[in-house]
Amino acid sequence: MQYQNIENYSPKKSKLRVIIAITLAVLHLSVFTGLIACIGVNSRTELGQGRIIFTGELERGARIRVLENDTAIAQGFFSELIAAFNAEYASYNIQAIDANQGNFLDLEQAGPFGFGPCVLFQANDRIMRFAEGGHIFALPIEQLDTFEYVGDKAWNAFFMYAYEIVLDENNRPVMDGEQPLRHRVPSTFGAPVMIQGPVIYYRRSLVDPEVLTTWANIYQFNRDRATANPAHRGYIRSMIDPYFNFGYLLSYGAYIFAENNTDPSRIGLSQNGAERGANVHRQLASSMDNRVVDHSLTPLVYEQLARGIFAATMTTPDVYTLFIDALMRNGFSREEAVAELGVAPMPKLPLCGDLRNPDAELIPSIMMGGINGYAISAYTPYPNAALAFINFATSFRSIQRRHELLGIAPAREDVAEEVGGISLIINEELAEGNIFVMPSIRAMTQVWGPVEAFFADLAQDAFRSRPLLQTQTQQLQRLAQLDTTIYNAIWTFA
Amino acid sequence: MMNFDIKKSKGRKIRPKKIVDVVLTYTGLIIISLIFLFPVLWLVLSTFNATGIFSAYGFFPQEWTLNNFRILFADSEYLMMLYNYPRWLLNTLFVSFFSMLFGTGLVILTAYTMSRFKFRSRKRMMVMTLLLGMFPSFLAMSAVFFIMAEFGLVNNLWGLILIYSAGAPLGYLVQKGFFDTIPNSIDEAARIDGATSMGVFFRIILPLSKPILVFTALTAFAWPWSDFILPQILLPDRDMWTVAVGLNSLDDTQFARFTAGSVLIAVPIITLYFILSKYLVSGLSSGATKG
Amino acid sequence: MIKAIKQKFIGIGRLFGSANPKTILSMFFMGGGQLLNKQWIKGLIYFVIQVGIIVYFVLRGAADVAGFFTLGTVAGNPAQGIEGDNSILMLTMGLLAIIVVIIYLFVWTINIRDVFDTQLRVKSGKKPLRFREELREFIDKKFYKTILFLPVLFVSIFGIIPIIFMILLAFTDFNAGTFPGLANWVGFATFGELFRAGGIAPTFFRILGWNIIWAIATTAINYFGGLGLALLYNKKCVKGKTFWRLFPMLAYAVPGFISLIAFRFMFSASGPINQLIMGDGGEIINFLGLDATWSARAIGIGVTAWLTIPTSMLLATGILSNMNKELYEAAKIDGATGFKQFTKITLPFVIFATTPVIIMQFVGNFNNFGIFFFLRQGVSESPGMYVATDTDLLVNWIFRLTVDNGLFNIGAAVSLLMFIVTSTIALFVYLRSPAYRKEDTFR
Repeated sequence: MQYQNIENYSPKKSKLRVIIAITLAVLHLSVFTGLIACIGVNSRTELGQGRIIFTGELERGARIRVLENDTAIAQGFFSELIAAFNAEYASYNIQAIDANQGNFLDLEQAGPFGFGPCVLFQANDRIMRFAEGGHIFALPIEQLDTFEYVGDKAWNAFFMYAYEIVLDENNRPVMDGEQPLRHRVPSTFGAPVMIQGPVIYYRRSLVDPEVLTTWANIYQFNRDRATANPAHRGYIRSMIDPYFNFGYLLSYGAYIFAENNTDPSRIGLSQNGAERGANVHRQLASSMDNRVVDHSLTPLVYEQLARGIFAATMTTPDVYTLFIDALMRNGFSREEAVAELGVAPMPKLPLCGDLRNPDAELIPSIMMGGINGYAISAYTPYPNAALAFINFATSFRSIQRRHELLGIAPAREDVAEEVGGISLIINEELAEGNIFVMPSIRAMTQVWGPVEAFFADLAQDAFRSRPLLQTQTQQLQRLAQLDTTIYNAIWTFA
Repeated sequence: MMNFDIKKSKGRKIRPKKIVDVVLTYTGLIIISLIFLFPVLWLVLSTFNATGIFSAYGFFPQEWTLNNFRILFADSEYLMMLYNYPRWLLNTLFVSFFSMLFGTGLVILTAYTMSRFKFRSRKRMMVMTLLLGMFPSFLAMSAVFFIMAEFGLVNNLWGLILIYSAGAPLGYLVQKGFFDTIPNSIDEAARIDGATSMGVFFRIILPLSKPILVFTALTAFAWPWSDFILPQILLPDRDMWTVAVGLNSLDDTQFARFTAGSVLIAVPIITLYFILSKYLVSGLSSGATKG
Repeated sequence: MIKAIKQKFIGIGRLFGSANPKTILSMFFMGGGQLLNKQWIKGLIYFVIQVGIIVYFVLRGAADVAGFFTLGTVAGNPAQGIEGDNSILMLTMGLLAIIVVIIYLFVWTINIRDVFDTQLRVKSGKKPLRFREELREFIDKKFYKTILFLPVLFVSIFGIIPIIFMILLAFTDFNAGTFPGLANWVGFATFGELFRAGGIAPTFFRILGWNIIWAIATTAINYFGGLGLALLYNKKCVKGKTFWRLFPMLAYAVPGFISLIAFRFMFSASGPINQLIMGDGGEIINFLGLDATWSARAIGIGVTAWLTIPTSMLLATGILSNMNKELYEAAKIDGATGFKQFTKITLPFVIFATTPVIIMQFVGNFNNFGIFFFLRQGVSESPGMYVATDTDLLVNWIFRLTVDNGLFNIGAAVSLLMFIVTSTIALFVYLRSPAYRKEDTFR
């Protein structure tokens, strides 16, 4: 647009016009800045009133969305649970429904917009991560039926000092200048349902349970079986999975975070002779084969155990049904399969850390585990109904039924005693401290990657032509390196 | 001139060099075809594997079954709740169809405009679109989620369709290249006859653009079948998932389902591509020539 | 360039200087001048827009913009049912409001220009345009505006805003541990963090180096591989060209992530290839494992070639069919060998014709997230690197930083740096390419 040659251009009148025009234009635009200044500045959020969340008054007409885990849904347990709950609470017009969402839904993003579930079933570390972010309610656990039947260690998995806003007598936030005053309140954020701890699954016809009592025996068994038939293995599992291999370090005295796993400023995976555990891990890996250095073996274990290609493996109790299914696919009837599949507790480790020359002194395997339980989203409109649901879902009958259908190890000690078997053993292991509950602090997320890399290095080394981690000294060095890596991962940007 | 050539070629004998050349060519062709065929063949055959896992023994299944396909559509009641493959198919068809419709429309119009009109900000826009395509977009996804949540389009297939259609014009370069090959003289002739720009486009250019239309529609239709990042963010509810999200959500123990599910969507797409391959060729070629 | 800007200012100056009262009115009330010109509908539209946006601003926008600058003033605690400020939401909504203001200014400028144009029209004796006539313009001369309105709008909302959001994140301290607290603007501190001693700068440069090599290698292999394949299929002695061309199409048509997962399993330690090796009595080779830097990289390049050569082949086929066959005839008569024909005739033409596509492919390969995400799933960190493996591309690293480690602001900063690198390269090539400068050469 060329405005250079304009006829109307008359010098005298224009000066005034220019001034008027520019003033108006500027006025116009300053409307915005003015609005921003006035309205914007005065629109500082007023903190709403706090309130007692769990008043005990059930919200009538509540529709509680529950996010359960996939196995519980797949085996039909969840449908039963909801049906039973709905029947019981029909008079209040309260219904529990399937949240129908993926299990790894991010409550942090979806919750504030109302897309999350009301109740979620998750592992303790995930629940506590949400707790740190303030996305779930602290529970009044004394009001729950399950309170006196679950041990301290299980409850502790959901314990945290919450950083809460101080409220005065009228439930208004007490302000400290611009920000509200906060204090630390001991809180529990989840109700335990089941204990996840590793167990050994084995084929009764292929291996004698005596063999599975110590890792040194297993090591020997592996070598024997491979010599007898190179296509077969004894005990095998992926050796790089951090969750299942952490135990080798922990049993020998290593710790993850200082101060009972609450202080991430010191990492102790190389402490207290943990290199013995590294040595055990490496030796064990060497008695298997090169397949254990990645994850690809894991989905195949059910089928291969069923076919007798190997005799034993380690995984969690809740996949019991998958083994039975695999056996049934390979010619066993259900009764035969149940009879054939054995479940054993963790074998013991030699104190000296050498599977080839085990000494007489044995120490128990401390394996990493977790507690899965229910929590209530802070964005639900029905906290009391949700609490009622959790109370129902953690009752004796519900937990017992869960065990019947899914084979889980219940956190409720009364059910464990009733059921006996491996469930009772796991419960006892937890009480004795042989199941090391995953620390729930946020820094834990930075631990998995480096630890997996460490075990991959170690397992791979068992097969390297020029091993770098053969002696315990070398392993200790590598562990020290692991500590530094984790420390850097946590603190580089803290 | 011509007679001279024919006379020469009539008398020529087949030279040994030529035979070697032909043999090498065909060997190369066969090897290449096998390289491309083999992984796909393996994938397809794995779906018939009775053990339900990615061929535990060797490359090819030892026991054959159709069960893996059956469980996609008719598994136990609970597993169907978790892995609602038919629903995923319907969702994806729905999204594909509409984003094809809207996306194709938008990108064709955009490309035509960029090709024909020399307006001021044109070059700037071309550079901007190039730059926009180069951002890695994970973090941007959070913003998209917030915007969609404010508009109420989360958990809604239309939200997905909106984003796919909205993003389509960014890939206008190929289509623009096609329009660049249509001479301006056609436009001018139509204008002399009194047509408006809109008329020129709809009545003259469009009928000439069949190859590029088909190409664009096909690529727009195929995209939602393989995108798993965006729908995962915008569709928290299982019932809303597309096939890509659903398949990606399967863990390693569900190989049977994964392979069968994948093959089932791969086969129609492959067939579509085969049938329409000549449009693909002409579409890509003219697009590339001018860019 | 400076001349052009100067011209522009002079133009604006004259506009102000010679504006008549109607025009000046429009500077205050959008559409006022138009209404006085009896352009009822147009004036009304402008006025409604002005009122609408101001109302939006009063109701929401002003607060949003203020929130944008503060990123929240008071933090709440949902776990007690006390809602506070959500920094990221405020960032996004504030950004939206700022964009609305920009749109408003844009419309305001158009409004003034429009009245002024009418003023000039009236001066030169013509009557102001009726609405119907205006509409007709939009179907004809201004057709491009009508068409481009929707795409530009959509791309702005769903493309530009999220990207600006991401860039802005790099200037905050927002990470996964922030909520329910508040985030803050920290300026360039994040970038400082990236480059300080002992920080993650070494990892960044290592990955950048590999990324560049990767992009060049894959683009070259795919381009020449596709070209070679196209030439092969084009040979006179090949019968049934369509049939042979179908095979690469298989790779093209199968959805990407499916092929990648299949390849991952194929090469895994318990996969079929290793089973074959084991069956023959050999030792398992860990193609994609921790130690396997170079074999994993090679497999990555190979699989990418498998996936993308078909597209290049189709492209090249089409281009070759556009070529002038007579050039070859002439060359043959001059005695040129096949190879010479290729380098002197085919290659220059094809490269010239496909430069923009090469750039697009280069960028695509540079940002190829899927290949190593799926292929190297078992390995989470290589020694000496900060949450990255030795095959990770920058996009993979950003993914790990943000999704796995919740370091959103660092991820945003790395994204921005990465973008600067790629865009510089791309722009440099694109702006010099004939395809950009001399577009009309072939019309």
